[in-house]
Amino acid sequence: MLGKLGLSAIPFSEPIPLITSIIVILVALGVLGLITAKGWWPYLWREWITSVDHKRIGIMYCLLGVVMLIRGFADAIMMRTHQAMAIDAPGYLPPEHYNQIFTAHGTIMILFGAMPLVLGFMNFLVPLQLGVRDVAFPTFNSVGFWLTASGALLVNISLFVGEFARTGWLPYPPLSETTYTPGVGVDYYLWAVQISGVGTLITGINIVTTVLKMRCRGMSYLRMPVFCWTSLASCLLIVAAFPVLTATLAMLTLDRYLDFHYFTHTAGGNPMMFVNLVWAWGHPEVYILVLPAFGIFSEIFSTFSGKPLFGYRSMVAATLFICVVSLMVWLHHFFTMGAGAAVNTFFGISSSIIAVGTGVKVYNWIFTMYGGRVRFEVPMLWSMGFIFTFVIGGLTGVLLAVPPADFLVHNSMFLVAHFHNVIVGGVVFAIFAGMEFWFPKAFGFRLHEGWGKAAFWCAFIGFWVTFTPFYVLGLLGMTRRLQHINFPEWSPWLYLSVVGIAILILGVIAQVMQLVVSIRDRERLRDVTGDLWDGRSLEWATPSPPPFFNFAVLPDVEGEEAYWGIKLRAVETQQLAPEPDYRPIEMPVNSPVGICTAFFAAVFGFAMVWYIWWLAIVALVAAFAGFVVFAWRDVHEFEVPVREVARVDRARRAAREALLERMSRHGALP
Amino acid sequence: MSNLGSDPHRHTDMLDGREDHAPGDEPEESAGHWVRNANLGLGFSVVLTVGAFLLAASDVIYPPAIPVALIVLAIAQMGVHLVFFLHITTGPDNANNVLALAFGILVVFLIVIGSIWIMDHLDQNMMPMEQMMRMQR
Repeated sequence: MLGKLGLSAIPFSEPIPLITSIIVILVALGVLGLITAKGWWPYLWREWITSVDHKRIGIMYCLLGVVMLIRGFADAIMMRTHQAMAIDAPGYLPPEHYNQIFTAHGTIMILFGAMPLVLGFMNFLVPLQLGVRDVAFPTFNSVGFWLTASGALLVNISLFVGEFARTGWLPYPPLSETTYTPGVGVDYYLWAVQISGVGTLITGINIVTTVLKMRCRGMSYLRMPVFCWTSLASCLLIVAAFPVLTATLAMLTLDRYLDFHYFTHTAGGNPMMFVNLVWAWGHPEVYILVLPAFGIFSEIFSTFSGKPLFGYRSMVAATLFICVVSLMVWLHHFFTMGAGAAVNTFFGISSSIIAVGTGVKVYNWIFTMYGGRVRFEVPMLWSMGFIFTFVIGGLTGVLLAVPPADFLVHNSMFLVAHFHNVIVGGVVFAIFAGMEFWFPKAFGFRLHEGWGKAAFWCAFIGFWVTFTPFYVLGLLGMTRRLQHINFPEWSPWLYLSVVGIAILILGVIAQVMQLVVSIRDRERLRDVTGDLWDGRSLEWATPSPPPFFNFAVLPDVEGEEAYWGIKLRAVETQQLAPEPDYRPIEMPVNSPVGICTAFFAAVFGFAMVWYIWWLAIVALVAAFAGFVVFAWRDVHEFEVPVREVARVDRARRAAREALLERMSRHGALP
Repeated sequence: MSNLGSDPHRHTDMLDGREDHAPGDEPEESAGHWVRNANLGLGFSVVLTVGAFLLAASDVIYPPAIPVALIVLAIAQMGVHLVFFLHITTGPDNANNVLALAFGILVVFLIVIGSIWIMDHLDQNMMPMEQMMRMQR
């Protein structure tokens, strides 16, 4: 009846997961209780859970990502402190638990932390920057988000029910085959990643279609903001690469569930094929994450330097170059697997060449700042910290792209330092910069500056103190994922890295404090104009937060930097463009199909993990039924009356007129 | 696609002629033309399929050339599917579809050819079997 599920699945004998689970369950129940007590359910259901508004979905993606980043960071703290305590000593984490932690850290940080955040930014920004009212398939978008959330839910359930994989974040066979890992850990991984992978693919298709088909009038390809270009490139990679992951994990699933032999040693299987295929997805994946990050930095550098982006066209070309070449470098993750000189040389050269595209971008950002009037606001601090950190990470990457050098440091702490250098320095810094930059757009008030600066400096210094020792340790010969260390010579570096993680903890506290203080002081930090950073792209033409239909009248773009042009014209003529002729707007209706499908998908995943076949079938049928009901819906859209459109837009125009007047009085932008 | 006020077909006349349409979003096509087109495609693909079977079973052509002939028929079959069922044409309205197809082919080509090359190379850095046997003795 319940398959393999029984009371033994709950880790009663292990205090750490047990206590964590109890605390997490209590907090979750507390939040749910608070929502029930305050009667917020109808509001949440109507305005958020069933919402098909791209901005709401984007914000929910970011919220999911932030929660998962904290979960992944907790894993990181445990790994650092454990290693520091495990030098010629047992440490405090038993091997099977430690292995789950480093696996969960990688899986969560990449697939459930960074990915939702990046997708959240794309969802929130792309339609606004393109001057349209929603993404191409709004309901599909909601399905995509909730499927990603289901995947995250499954990973977190594995903390209290059963166990997570102990195989590393890419479950290499033969270790991940049933013979060597009979438990449910790898199955949790497989179903969680498969379900969220479908969600990611959906969002990828959605953004590609939106950029290709839904631009406002006059928004030709070469007038799109760079963030839209990098989102397009990133989503093209999602569409190209995620099916490879799905197929690879499906083959591993068949091996585990139905005794197939794709990746076994016996009966003609080949575990190396898994390594090959999973990195054919895995390398594009890092560019899926970092390309939108480049887009975020491009917007910030140009805005806070008060200049158009230097070399816009070369930026676009570099983006597309990276998009294509990122599909040709995957072997550099396994130079040591046995390929001969020809293969290793080809992939070594292609890995070095891809750095050229990134180099072009770095110079463009530096030249954007050159001669500009640079404002050192918090987003700009993150961006400058990014250039410094990312360039050093990139240089160690070029070093690793040389096969003979890679043979020396393969799988060492040097590698760990390198990829944290590019992913934290590139993606995570971009996420924090972008949050600081667009938070006022999303919520209508800016974040507290002092706490923001504190968060940046703690994160920046903490990052370097944590990860520089890894480079040294790697060169001293320490391999990654060690549960036990018997070289006392390494201890100073491991202790230093614990100091670093302590500084990073202060950074996280500063981030949380920033949010708390900003929400408390929201009236004082209110953004009344909708353009508080003196922005250049169309999202700053809307009020903060934007109305659910984004634009009362779709803009008509003339030239690059759409909003900057409109603003200059207003400043020159000392008046806004004449009031347009308002018309009613049709918007898609909210739909519960996303959350229903995702709920049943999560049940399906859980049932498959525990071999509860009847429940899996029921859940699959129910998930499909949701789609069928949705396909036969009668009402697709509702009409926003002219009166409402005019009211919202007149309020916006009044704010803009006040801004214009203030600007002409002070002779400068705010 | 929902009607969000920016659907291309809503103001196609206002946009320049190169404006592109997603599959399923083209301007209305007459039903007769659609049926004729689909039937033509069906006819072609049936002929190509039956032809492949006949060719393989008979000795109309030089026997060692049969695999090549089958490959030619298979490629023709793909072309028929692309043109008649997926509506990939050279028309001005098709840039996105053609580009998407090209990108897809490029990705498949890179991953398939790359994987074959890599997997074929995997024993290159292994010790020759003979030497290993000697060492074990």
